[in-house]
Amino acid sequence: MADAKTHNPIRIDPQTCVRCNLCDWICPGDLIYKEEDNRETLPVIAYPDECWYCGLCQSICPTAAITIVFPEQMVRNETDVVSLLGKVVE
Amino acid sequence: MDTDLLVVGGGVAGSMAAIPALEAGLQVVICEKGKVLDHCGSIGCGVDHYLTVMDTGPEWDTPEFLIKHVPELTDGIVDMAVAGRVIREMPRIFRKLESLGVDFKDKQTGTYYRLRSFGLPGTYHINFDGTDFKKQIGERVRKGKAAVLMRTMVVQLLTQDNRAYGALAFNFRTGEWYAIRAKAVVLAAGDVNRISKNASGLAFDSWHFPYDTGDAHAMGYRSGALLANMESVEATLTPKGFSCQGLNALVSLGAYFVNQHGERFMFKYDKKGENARRAVIADAAINEYLLGNGPVYLDCRHLPQDMLDRMEATLQVDRYTLPAFYQQKGVNFREELVEISISELSIRRSGVYFRGSGLAVDVNGETSVEGLFAAGDCATVSGGIAGAAVLGHIAGEGTVRRVNETRGALPAVDLAAAGALRAEAEGFLKRTDGTSWRELEDKTRQTVTDYIGVRRTDKGLRLALDTLRALAQREKTLRADDLHGLMRVHESKNIRLNAELMAAASLARKETRTGSAHWRLDYPQTDDENWRKFMIVERGADGPSVRTLSTDRPLADAFARSVQTV
Repeated sequence: MADAKTHNPIRIDPQTCVRCNLCDWICPGDLIYKEEDNRETLPVIAYPDECWYCGLCQSICPTAAITIVFPEQMVRNETDVVSLLGKVVE
Repeated sequence: MDTDLLVVGGGVAGSMAAIPALEAGLQVVICEKGKVLDHCGSIGCGVDHYLTVMDTGPEWDTPEFLIKHVPELTDGIVDMAVAGRVIREMPRIFRKLESLGVDFKDKQTGTYYRLRSFGLPGTYHINFDGTDFKKQIGERVRKGKAAVLMRTMVVQLLTQDNRAYGALAFNFRTGEWYAIRAKAVVLAAGDVNRISKNASGLAFDSWHFPYDTGDAHAMGYRSGALLANMESVEATLTPKGFSCQGLNALVSLGAYFVNQHGERFMFKYDKKGENARRAVIADAAINEYLLGNGPVYLDCRHLPQDMLDRMEATLQVDRYTLPAFYQQKGVNFREELVEISISELSIRRSGVYFRGSGLAVDVNGETSVEGLFAAGDCATVSGGIAGAAVLGHIAGEGTVRRVNETRGALPAVDLAAAGALRAEAEGFLKRTDGTSWRELEDKTRQTVTDYIGVRRTDKGLRLALDTLRALAQREKTLRADDLHGLMRVHESKNIRLNAELMAAASLARKETRTGSAHWRLDYPQTDDENWRKFMIVERGADGPSVRTLSTDRPLADAFARSVQTV
């Protein structure tokens, strides 16, 4: 399980979520866990750092209760691309 | 559990392999880590392009015309026997997909909207709204009554005397273990991701599915199957910070790439400009960055509104969240330059069609292990959605023959192997200290990025091999926090092994080929005289062993079993 500091990419609005289980069912990464047959509990994003940002959960949600939020390191990325191109070892 | 055919992976290749088996009345079990029967296994969404020859009349639209160009498209590293069969079968499989209900036609015009891209010698890519492409294929699998085990990871093949007879798997939601005996097995578990670093630094932010972790390559290798082209890596261009698909749509619809000086640089590298092969586009961008001409930008400002509309509609078929990314970033790609990065590297098809990196297959899609088939991004030749569909179907037809030829009872499940696997899993789950899969993976990614990725040398590759072998020693100390973590533990081991295979093959190929797909700083030239050869990797006495085979011959010539030709 991820700690509290981990960015949560999948925001679920508890007001509009109907606790239906579809987001758990569709997530290709097995990140979203929803207790079955319990209309009281919300889905839990158990492994937020393993999200691929595919948005399948958002696209299938029947009440548009899910918003995908990208972290700063994706939206405003400052990485020097050359650092990804290997070290020259001669 | 006993079945006729076991399919590992329910993506396009796996589903297309299941269909002919189901049509022949065979029992089929599909193990699937996700729930992707309705979505593509490489990207989890729909499809925006489909590469096919259609045989509509003009010479360029015939299989033989495309086959003639395959050697130059692959820089000579290709199994022409298998590539030839895949291309010849393209029109038949295309018609089959239409019969399944896939609508390839443009909704407005009612005709096929065919585009040229990636250096292909014709307008072979159909641009279409393939949101439901995989749904139609998955529907046929369901109707055929295949047993689909979701959230189930296959971790070990069962083989005896170079013959596959099933696999061991576990459900990472329930913890249930399966021993599945089958007369034939199709590996269709996709490519190798999470193997190098990218701009965001997030391991799961990858161009293709991060949940495809070379499981097929690793299991095949451990069972003695031959792999080829593992030295070739693939990268693409992505909006900086978000490794996502879309390059095909961008280049085929006319986007430009410019460097920090505003120079449209692609023509310096290829006379086809942005229509060059993906490997060339990635290589050009890498060069521009290394020359100090970065950042590199995507430029769509010259395109007419209708083309921009089509581009916008197409991009979100492949990656639903791309518009949200641009919105949060505050960028309007229609009017502004968008900064571009090189994606992380992956093992797939090295940015060219019909080469493929992974399990070597013959013209029936069968690997060097009898009864073990492979298709999709984990196999040679196969590449992209069309490759997955066609070779998947070919492999499925191959399994029907193999199943029908099977005489007598299958071997009993290797209980010692099954017991050892379960004991190992319990060890991972019980351990509270030790190595986390994240740590093992981070070290693998750093090693690949620094020493195996883009700029390779003998010394760097040897250093990488030493590091990866030392990491292998730590695998027995891995810990899994839960069943989900147990799946990730197995994935991290598979990723590390694939990195080792990549390093071993890269060290052996002492030349540069297809630009940064295999760039040796110490052997910077392409050497056709000595290296127009496959690098074949297989399990040796102590680690991967590499041998070569001339590309004048099919990879099947290196197989120990007899091969049936078509």
